[in-house]
Amino acid sequence: MSNWTPFAILALALGGAWAVACVEQAVAGVRVAPALVLRRAAEQLDQPLAVPAGRDAWLYHLAPPLLLVAAVVALATVPWAPGFRGVDLSTGAILFSAALAYVTPSVFMAGWGAGGPLAVLGGFRFIALMLGFAMPLAMVVTAVAAPAESLRPAAIVEVQHAVPMVIVQPFAAALFVPAAMAVALLAPFDLADATTELEGGAFSRYTGLHAGLIALARKILVLAVAGMTAALFLAGWQGPLLPPAIWMALKTGAVVAGMLWAGRRLPRFELERLLVVAWIVAIPAAIGVIVLAGLITLLFYR
Amino acid sequence: MSDLATALVFWPSAAIMLVTGLYVFRTRSMARAGLLLLASLGIEGLVFLSLASEFLGVLQLLMMSGEMVIMVFFMVMFMADPGGLMGMDMTHDKRRSAAVAAGVAAALGAVAVATDWPGTVVTGAAPDIEQIGFEVMGRSMLSFLFAGMTILFAMVGGILLAKHGGRLGIPAPAGEPRDEEGAP
Repeated sequence: MSNWTPFAILALALGGAWAVACVEQAVAGVRVAPALVLRRAAEQLDQPLAVPAGRDAWLYHLAPPLLLVAAVVALATVPWAPGFRGVDLSTGAILFSAALAYVTPSVFMAGWGAGGPLAVLGGFRFIALMLGFAMPLAMVVTAVAAPAESLRPAAIVEVQHAVPMVIVQPFAAALFVPAAMAVALLAPFDLADATTELEGGAFSRYTGLHAGLIALARKILVLAVAGMTAALFLAGWQGPLLPPAIWMALKTGAVVAGMLWAGRRLPRFELERLLVVAWIVAIPAAIGVIVLAGLITLLFYR
Repeated sequence: MSDLATALVFWPSAAIMLVTGLYVFRTRSMARAGLLLLASLGIEGLVFLSLASEFLGVLQLLMMSGEMVIMVFFMVMFMADPGGLMGMDMTHDKRRSAAVAAGVAAALGAVAVATDWPGTVVTGAAPDIEQIGFEVMGRSMLSFLFAGMTILFAMVGGILLAKHGGRLGIPAPAGEPRDEEGAP
């Protein structure tokens, strides 16, 4: 941790967002054109800002920066390599959940502030979705932290030196990945913007800089949840021969590609069914996962 | 954190916390009130963090976001005027509630001033997580469980009372559209 860390994290956020956009092109089956991503972004920034007519315009203007801050803080908690991470708190795993928890109010603020019926509907859909999925996400993080006996993400990576957590706790991984995709607004959980039914939903009114910030924040979110998945379940930077940072980049890239690929293959889920799954299956299962994590810790990690 | 950094985070955070807390009661919109309360209580997490209480700060940030979003959701769902377009007022029974608020504020202020706070300086990552864990799972477990169950009963009861027909489930009178089916 030095004075340069914030700049390194910002560079990682911008470069990572660009890389995620390129992976998106590759998964979509179009020719990968890194320059095109930048040109599209520049074109978007040229557009004028849209201003909503309602009285809550300040919520509309505040939502994109809040989403971006939440995404960057979540990214900063991910342990990228031994000794390199944005914030190295002993409670880093909780800070990750806390940063992701601010995605929900920012999406709601975007929808409510824009004031259109589809935008408000998108905001409310996302609140309903996250009420069900935020809890399993935070609970699974504690289950993974139990063997490490620490909430420091780097310690959770180090405890996986022999066996990756996805083999030790497969149920935890099975709960974490869908919840992480939901919070990162990825298809098939993209109910808040749902381009084909709500025409952009909560984000439908945004243009120009606003839209650019939201697109950037969403790509950083994808990178953050994929990085955390790689760190918590796939042993992070640990691996033979290659340097740690390369291993972490490969695993994160694979998770990003897997998540985006799943989003292209699966149809968007219906909100009511997702909520039934979240409340009746995922949350009780997450409690079971925590109990199991305690047993595993006592039996194998002591 | 150095003293200067602490002061630079603490005083602006505390000021924003108070101002947003005040504006919760100045606005007429339920959505705005809930989000202002989220701002106030979330920024309180920054105050904790600036005072080197890492675990409480991060937990405050996490819990308040979830709780206040739920509150916004329920307030918008239950209130007749969630957007504050018909001039609803956030304050009720003004004289008595002002007296109670002033009394509580004075009592809490007196406690804060009169308490002999420990003078030790906490530096670095405080080992408070383990202590909080033993406190919650040990001596204080009963009171936490009691508080949790009370809140759960209050939530279920509140939803039952607010739903159409109240706790007896009386169907809506003829001619009045039901919430579930009436809206186009």
